[in-house]
Amino acid sequence: MRSLFEKMGQIDRRVIYILVALAVIVTILLKVKFKGAPLPEVRHSYEVINNLPAGSVVMVSIDYDASSMPELDPMLRAMLKHCFKKNLKVIMLGHWPLGLPLGQLALDEIAKQYHKKYGIDYVFLGYRPGLQAVMLNIGKEIRSVFATDYKNTPLDSLPMMRSVHNYNDIAVLIALEAGSVGDAWVQFAQARFNQKIIMGTTAVITPDEYPYLQAHQIVGLIGGLRGASDYEKLVGSPDIATAGMASQTVVHTLIVVFILLGNIGYFALRRRH
Amino acid sequence: MKKEVPLFITFITGILLVIALFVPHKPFGQLQSTFNDWLIIVGGFTMILGLDSLLLHHWEKIRRRKEGWISSLALILSFCITLIWGFGEGIFFHRNPFSPSATFLRYFYTYVFVPLQATMFSLLAFFIASAAYRAFRAKDPNATLLLSAAALVMLGRVPGGNNIAPYVFGIVFLLAAYYFASEGAATMGPTRYIYYGLAITSLILIYPAGLILLHYLNGIADWIMNIPQMAAKRGIWIGISLGGIAMSLRIILGIERTYLQ
Repeated sequence: MRSLFEKMGQIDRRVIYILVALAVIVTILLKVKFKGAPLPEVRHSYEVINNLPAGSVVMVSIDYDASSMPELDPMLRAMLKHCFKKNLKVIMLGHWPLGLPLGQLALDEIAKQYHKKYGIDYVFLGYRPGLQAVMLNIGKEIRSVFATDYKNTPLDSLPMMRSVHNYNDIAVLIALEAGSVGDAWVQFAQARFNQKIIMGTTAVITPDEYPYLQAHQIVGLIGGLRGASDYEKLVGSPDIATAGMASQTVVHTLIVVFILLGNIGYFALRRRH
Repeated sequence: MKKEVPLFITFITGILLVIALFVPHKPFGQLQSTFNDWLIIVGGFTMILGLDSLLLHHWEKIRRRKEGWISSLALILSFCITLIWGFGEGIFFHRNPFSPSATFLRYFYTYVFVPLQATMFSLLAFFIASAAYRAFRAKDPNATLLLSAAALVMLGRVPGGNNIAPYVFGIVFLLAAYYFASEGAATMGPTRYIYYGLAITSLILIYPAGLILLHYLNGIADWIMNIPQMAAKRGIWIGISLGGIAMSLRIILGIERTYLQ
């Protein structure tokens, strides 16, 4: 038995890989579900969007790419569904050029589901280099950075953009973040122009954004796959994040078990030496 | 003059932008807007600069047949194909070559780039699981705190975590009890009674620990995220910001000149 305890501290990494893969695959295939109340910050984000009057303009910033897609894409889709259900108007832009097409694909798909028209209900602006300069210039006049949309259509030719000039005309900014662009949004759009921001982040950077939430510099925080899954449930449309969340629960449990087993093995080995 | 002119431009630009932040009226407010436009234009050109150094670096690797030159060749080929095809779509089919609706780029993006990038990052889950198992060892009080916080947050932040945790920790307490009992049986002298005591304590702790985890795990995880985690983050952020201000002042005043090299 003693050698069994010692073996617990020396599990081969390939065994860990196989067990993690099995945990993910089996949980998804069996469609396991775990019940849990949405996190307060996600519920608050939902309520901010839900309380906007119809016709309000929401700006979505795609600041991620395919590497963070499993967490942020379901979040984007759930939020777009919510916006279109509430008849809000959506402007999409982004600071990660390689991730922007993901945003556009989701926007086109969800808009089609809700019979929304381009230019009237939603607009895709695309990417401009400059990051902070783009954020600051939107605060003065959006046309100074985006004279046209991604198809080179002048903004004034798009009916919904005629009344949009700066942050005063944007009810909420939804910033979907996989890096540090979210900090820039807070520093330049919120601190300088008092723009309301809901931040959707990958689980890795979520802890970085909690100080902004507590200081009310952002009005909502949707963190990781858990946040996406909570938002899907709140919108009443459980989808890929909800399915993925079950496997994340199982994998987290597995990792905790490994950590605890590793420590038992560590103590057994230490005692022997 | 090679140093003085850039230093002078940096000084003037820095001072003007600081003034513009506090005096958003004409002429300073307007000046800030102009600088922002310049920044966007310069930002566009930096991409060309980045591309130039990237291609040169990989071309050198291929030319000298350095280790991994095949990957460099794949990079340059992919770059050329994407660029030529993109321009081709624009010139011959009059479609926006950089739009995701362009046929080849859309195909390339959706079926090559996205899956490759997603696969690369999904591998992290396996490495993290293995690294957590190896790194989170209770070697000293700090490491014990770190692994306890990690275990509690990992289970406390997932749905159903509070229902699973009592069983996970229960099994671990059982194993610990068995371990202490077997150590006690293998040890001679009064030390054996300490081991037996630890084994009994582990068994007794199963029920109260399970109850605490069942009812308070989510609260404990939230507390860790909202109080100690946030205090540490704030400290780090304040330090970074003060460092940023100090570095900006050093650059504006010409003390820090490494950017000129």
